[in-house]
Amino acid sequence: MIPHLRIVATVRLAAVLCVVSVWTLASSAKDASAQNSVPFSDSAAAEFVQSFCLDCHEGDEAESGLDLAAFASANDVTESIESWNRIATRVSQRQMPPEGSELPSDQNRAAFVSWIRSTIHAAICDDGVSPGRPMIRRMNRTEYANTVRDLLGIHVNAGHALPEDGAGGEGFDNAAETLFISPIYAEKYLDAAKSAIGHALKDPDARKRIIVATPNEQKSPEQAAREVFSEFLPRAFRRPALATEIDEYISTFNRAFNEDGSFDNAIEFTLVAAMVSPKFLFLLEQPAVPDKPTLVSHYEMASRLSYFLWASMPDHELMRLAEQEKLHDEKVLTDQVKRMLRSDVDRRGLRRGAKVRDFAKSFVEQWLGTRALGREFKPDPSVASRYDSELEGGMKYEPIFFFEDLLADNRSLLNLIDSDFTYVNRRLARHYQVEGKFREQPKLVKLQAGDHRGGLLGMSAVLAVSSLPHRTSPVLRGKWILETILGTPPPPPPPDVPALDESAETAKPASLRERLERHRADATCASCHDTMDPLGFGLENFDVLGRWRTEVEGVAIDSSGKLPSGDKFNGPKELKQLLLDHKEQFIRHLTRKMLGYALARGLNHEDDCVVDSITKKLVDDDYKTQTLIIEIVKSVPFRYKQAP
Amino acid sequence: MRGAMNIYLHDQINSRFPLSRRTLLRGAGAALALPWLEAMIPTEASATETEDNSTDDAPIRLAALFVPNGVRKDMWTPKGVGRDFEMSETLQPLEGFHDQLLVLTNLWNQASNVGDGHYVKTSGFLTCTTINKSLGIDLNCNGRSMDQVAANYSGKRTPLPSLELGIDPVSTGVDTNVGYTRVYGSHIAWSGPTSPLAKELNPGLVFDRLFRAAHPTLGTAKRDQLLLDRVLADVGELKRRLGASDRQRMDEYLQSVRSIEKRLQNQQSGGMKHWQPLAKLEKTTRPTDERPDTYVEQVRLMLDMIALAFQTDTTRVCTFMFGNAVSSRNLSFLDGVSGGHHDTSHHQNDEEKLRQYQLINRWHIEQYAYLLGKLRGMKERDGTVLDNSMILYGSGLRDGNSHSPHNLPIVLAGRGGGRIATGQHLEYGRDTPLANLYAAMLNAFGTGETRFADSTELLPGVLV
Repeated sequence: MIPHLRIVATVRLAAVLCVVSVWTLASSAKDASAQNSVPFSDSAAAEFVQSFCLDCHEGDEAESGLDLAAFASANDVTESIESWNRIATRVSQRQMPPEGSELPSDQNRAAFVSWIRSTIHAAICDDGVSPGRPMIRRMNRTEYANTVRDLLGIHVNAGHALPEDGAGGEGFDNAAETLFISPIYAEKYLDAAKSAIGHALKDPDARKRIIVATPNEQKSPEQAAREVFSEFLPRAFRRPALATEIDEYISTFNRAFNEDGSFDNAIEFTLVAAMVSPKFLFLLEQPAVPDKPTLVSHYEMASRLSYFLWASMPDHELMRLAEQEKLHDEKVLTDQVKRMLRSDVDRRGLRRGAKVRDFAKSFVEQWLGTRALGREFKPDPSVASRYDSELEGGMKYEPIFFFEDLLADNRSLLNLIDSDFTYVNRRLARHYQVEGKFREQPKLVKLQAGDHRGGLLGMSAVLAVSSLPHRTSPVLRGKWILETILGTPPPPPPPDVPALDESAETAKPASLRERLERHRADATCASCHDTMDPLGFGLENFDVLGRWRTEVEGVAIDSSGKLPSGDKFNGPKELKQLLLDHKEQFIRHLTRKMLGYALARGLNHEDDCVVDSITKKLVDDDYKTQTLIIEIVKSVPFRYKQAP
Repeated sequence: MRGAMNIYLHDQINSRFPLSRRTLLRGAGAALALPWLEAMIPTEASATETEDNSTDDAPIRLAALFVPNGVRKDMWTPKGVGRDFEMSETLQPLEGFHDQLLVLTNLWNQASNVGDGHYVKTSGFLTCTTINKSLGIDLNCNGRSMDQVAANYSGKRTPLPSLELGIDPVSTGVDTNVGYTRVYGSHIAWSGPTSPLAKELNPGLVFDRLFRAAHPTLGTAKRDQLLLDRVLADVGELKRRLGASDRQRMDEYLQSVRSIEKRLQNQQSGGMKHWQPLAKLEKTTRPTDERPDTYVEQVRLMLDMIALAFQTDTTRVCTFMFGNAVSSRNLSFLDGVSGGHHDTSHHQNDEEKLRQYQLINRWHIEQYAYLLGKLRGMKERDGTVLDNSMILYGSGLRDGNSHSPHNLPIVLAGRGGGRIATGQHLEYGRDTPLANLYAAMLNAFGTGETRFADSTELLPGVLV
């Protein structure tokens, strides 16, 4: 949440949260999994339970109703996974066994926890993975705008007046669980539809595409309307329209037409009705049967693909393939993914408006937190005197174009850690002091040695949103790396403790480091800050807006750091190298995020199995970006549904 | 009575309450707000139409203003209790409202004394319940916010049951440090356990809603009804097709569509047949479509919208969030303030940060005073709209540094139609439930409520 560096009253809890469960970089476990190397067995687990749990958790009077007396083996764990997950958490966080009772050694504790978790993992994954429930969610604000754009062929942001969406699950605003409907929505949808349809019917091209028939001597108004809605409804509902549905809309048309005899008015009115219908507004899948994964239908697959890779409705080709029932074919899916990720570069080297950018934008901005730039995060004028909208645009779009590039050109995902290119516009090029001719739209630039850029950690949007408005914060940047790159967010500092201040002497950067070091002398603080702070100091050469600097007010910047594992680095380049040593952890985390985005929901234990297997495939396939996407599309949770 | 309307609020503000000159200059919002207020003239009909109601009483309004990140604790509490109290430094801008205020000391929100520093104390601010810790799937506030209890009572009498307003969009992402979705930190109004109410952030669009609600055009109502029939039929069909566990979202949408339908029907017959705007709204007075550039302007325009909504009686219930929980909004437009709001609130007892923290607290109170001034400038019957309102101001925590929900900073203004014993600083025993105040407010609002959430009694001393 924030950089309060606090001395902790409830010492033990926070310390252990970090040490045991959160952070593998600190434990010097590079990508070779630490878990597998811990020797532990059923009998060792039984002995652990016997020694440390049964005092309270035995018999009819067992605390919390948890009776462990009969516990003997891994089978007992897999028969009640939820309980054992809780046990693992409680033990790893040192909430159990409680203080004052006999405590296991740290090593024994960690081994026990790890045994529980690997037992559960094996049980879930070896069984085969079950998919989630059918998708039932409204489009979010972005998807609504894109869908209206593609449905009507107009270029207005039809979603601008809709309320903003929050995020759920893996941190994205497409998560079904947080796409609420407040009373205000129907009114907003009605307004938006009226205005969008009004706009489209005034545009000759768009009008021609929508009103495919008009009444004449041979054709009654009803017949013309029938032609219009036979075309429109399947596109609006993203599936074939039933004959009864077309009849219903024609009946609505007729009632409107009978009022004033105007074909145009009645058509417009009925189009609006279709766009306020939940059949348009909701991504809806047919119910599935319980206990057995069901393939999603071909049309459902078309929508899953298009909302994943375009944040919009399926196009003509996807609908055609659905009609031909080809979207269960892995080869077809692979080809479609490649097609959908395409983003062409024009003669001037610019990428022009490919739909994949809508995906890149939604995913990247929310994964990295850079959507906050210009919203929750605004730099203070005192450090951002030359901050303007072109610079902000360049900053915001750098990671988006960069990711679009990785997707379209199928580059290695490790470019996100370090790369020899990036995307800048005119203002950002000046900001970074890189050579070349640029305009307002970002363009690829090859980086030279000494440019200090490359990878996410050289991007000013990232460096800004992990700062305070008026100065950099090594703590926040370290936390950003742990959370966003490695997927191991530190726990929050406990509340209500006396505190040390990292900011009182902001004018004296040297003393900030000293103060942070003094503060880490406290063992509890150290457990997390020993990792967070050095990582952040590695980026101190970048100011709030990500400009390169070598000193602050006459004091040279020291961007060296040493991690609890003993690993040392000096400056961002070596820091990135260190992160590359943990590339599998990074890839696993990115896969998790991407799967959560693709499925538009929070992940569960079974989804972790999918994450593991895709991570392995990526390792074997040079971390190719399209491999990540294709493997997700081919995965069980993406292609199947199952009733809960 | 009509003549009295020509007295404009801004003159009053300048002369009567010490809004700093700088705020007014900086706050172009003040200037923006001014011209269109003049266009509001009470309607001829209002005096006679309201007599059709069962009571002659003016409607009672209820608003809650939420400010994130707490207050500097040593500069909040007034000196002295009872009627003779002196404003504290932070409350100084309320000096001109002494007889319209209740400052309440030692209330707390026990249900929010768990979990993390902010989310629990934001979503739970008006619900007095403990929210589920969740990234989304089990999101639940386990209650209903007090404003929605009020809206449930008054909603059928006005075109809009309630307004939810704010400045910040829902904060992006989920907070993996503490395990809460930021949805929690972005909402105070909950119509049900799993239904946070979306905020409107654009003053122009708020105006449009007010205007449309106040100007029912029967010509389109019939057509709109036809359209809604089509939509409702589709909703019904889908509901039949979906499994029971998947119907919830469709139900939410159904209710959303029904709320327009109800309004249409009410406008033609039924409950609101006799509803008339208590003041006229002129289309020319709409704020510009774009969201204003500065925070000051946005806040002012939103507060103007609350005043308009109440004056016209378009709704009687409103909530407003100055910012989302953990707002790191940069408030350096204030003289002597340089940091973000949340960062400054973690003052760690640093003198300089404390000083800035108090300036920020005081600025928020100035905006509160602005709204109160506006409502007091609106004549109604023998008094003012403020006399017939209850405007709550508060934060979900006391000291931003320690996140404590003890002794919350809470002020209530307006006499609630003569039912609130204003003009006092009331000091209660330590840890008196905040819900007791809400129960009293709901009671004064007319809901007949005597309990709310974890309340133990109607808060003594509040009701006349």
